[in-house]
Amino acid sequence: MSVQPDVSPQPMSQNEEDVRVIEAAALPTRFARGWHCLGLAESFRDGKPHEIQAFGTKLVVFQGEDDGELHVLNAYCPHMGGNLAHGTVKGNAVACPFHDWRWSGNGKCAGIPYARRVPPRAKTRAWPTLERNKQLYVWNDPEGSKPTDDVTIPEIEGIHGPDAGEWSDWSWHYLRVDNSNCREIVDNVVDMAHFYYVHYAFPEYFKNVFDGHVATQYMESSPRPDIDLGTLSASGGLRSDASYYGPSYMIDKLWADVGGGLEMESVLINCHYPIDENSFMLMYGAIVKKLPGMTDEQAEQAAQATSEGLAVGFEQDVEIWKNKTRIDNPLLTEEDGPVYQLRRWYEQFYVDAADVKDEMVRRFEFEIDTTRANEAWRAEAEANIAARKAAEAQIAAGSGS
Amino acid sequence: MRAVECGACGNQVLCEKFSPAHTQVQWTDEAAEVCPRIREKVAAGELSARVRSCGELRDSIDAAVASGLLEVGGA
Ligand code: FES
Ligand SMILES: [Fe+2]
Repeated sequence: MSVQPDVSPQPMSQNEEDVRVIEAAALPTRFARGWHCLGLAESFRDGKPHEIQAFGTKLVVFQGEDDGELHVLNAYCPHMGGNLAHGTVKGNAVACPFHDWRWSGNGKCAGIPYARRVPPRAKTRAWPTLERNKQLYVWNDPEGSKPTDDVTIPEIEGIHGPDAGEWSDWSWHYLRVDNSNCREIVDNVVDMAHFYYVHYAFPEYFKNVFDGHVATQYMESSPRPDIDLGTLSASGGLRSDASYYGPSYMIDKLWADVGGGLEMESVLINCHYPIDENSFMLMYGAIVKKLPGMTDEQAEQAAQATSEGLAVGFEQDVEIWKNKTRIDNPLLTEEDGPVYQLRRWYEQFYVDAADVKDEMVRRFEFEIDTTRANEAWRAEAEANIAARKAAEAQIAAGSGS
Repeated sequence: MRAVECGACGNQVLCEKFSPAHTQVQWTDEAAEVCPRIREKVAAGELSARVRSCGELRDSIDAAVASGLLEVGGA
């Protein structure tokens, strides 16, 4: 090895050829076109303006006193840049704390109490909003288009359906993720193997379908016996049917086997909005369908417990994201999901509408063969249990002597 | 990826199978237009994206594997 010290660059360059080099282009400078959930609508109905840091800027959300509607405007006042989120709601307008200019929900200046007349072009950006599923959504499009019906957020049956009375209310949580672009969370849609390592489940069935603006993950899983999460007793299997409607809002229908032939049905929301290109606000929540004989309180508790179980999972994801690097060229096996095709789908939200290519939206299906992975994982989980039992037996023997 | 024709509707998709249980299907046209099964669901108010698969197409893929047209673990 040390025969020719003068040619030491040689092995170096050879090394570079053999080693996989992680590639990552600069973070995208634009934010995805689409509906983004800002949270539960009720949380904005306290008569105060709310500041939301999103899409690389600040927004103000307020409820009109007379129309009762939730409105979203640019937070910064076009007059002298005051922050409307620190102002007050006056009638159907939000009033700036700096010089009291009033801004209506449609973006028009509704009045300047001290001025003889309102300047003709006194208009700020009003963001299209949608209230549905007891949640508030805002439409982002760098090109300024209006949202169309074919990309709307669907109504959730547990909220809007005829049996809505049988469902609990939303539990809801926020988790700010810094130092991470929101593509990381979207990647989870196809990431079969991380469900074992990060979420402690055996993903036994796993299929993705991408079609138009929707990306779906069908999964059947059962919990790892070697890990006790201390959350909702998830001893049985789980069926999950989860779709992203657009770039950031996932509805996940879940059926959990809770024993005694009973299945608990719940709907989880996993959604986010970008704060800037390197941080995002993750939100998640759940509603639960009451089991026979369940009281309202028990249903709320079950929804709470479900989202607490989720919290554990998301916090583990976040721990990974915080510490990982962005990678555009992941190195994949046959057991990994279709990461490249998912990102091709995701790309449609980051290009002008005219530049959306067929390949981004054409239907694509991918069903993973999970057999080999689950054999390996079952064996590993059993070995973990055996090792723990052996250690316990040793401790018991030691303390007995 | 290999072209496989659906026995029911004649539409062609591109398929790949790493193993008997794995299947990849790339549609090359608007699924809601070319596949009558998906079209039915769309007419009933579903999004085509929310149809998990077309049973007829699945059978045709299985048949393509059985006849040797679609190699498993090839690629
Ligand atoms: S900056 Fe808003 S009123 Fe002057
Ligand atoms: Fe995850």
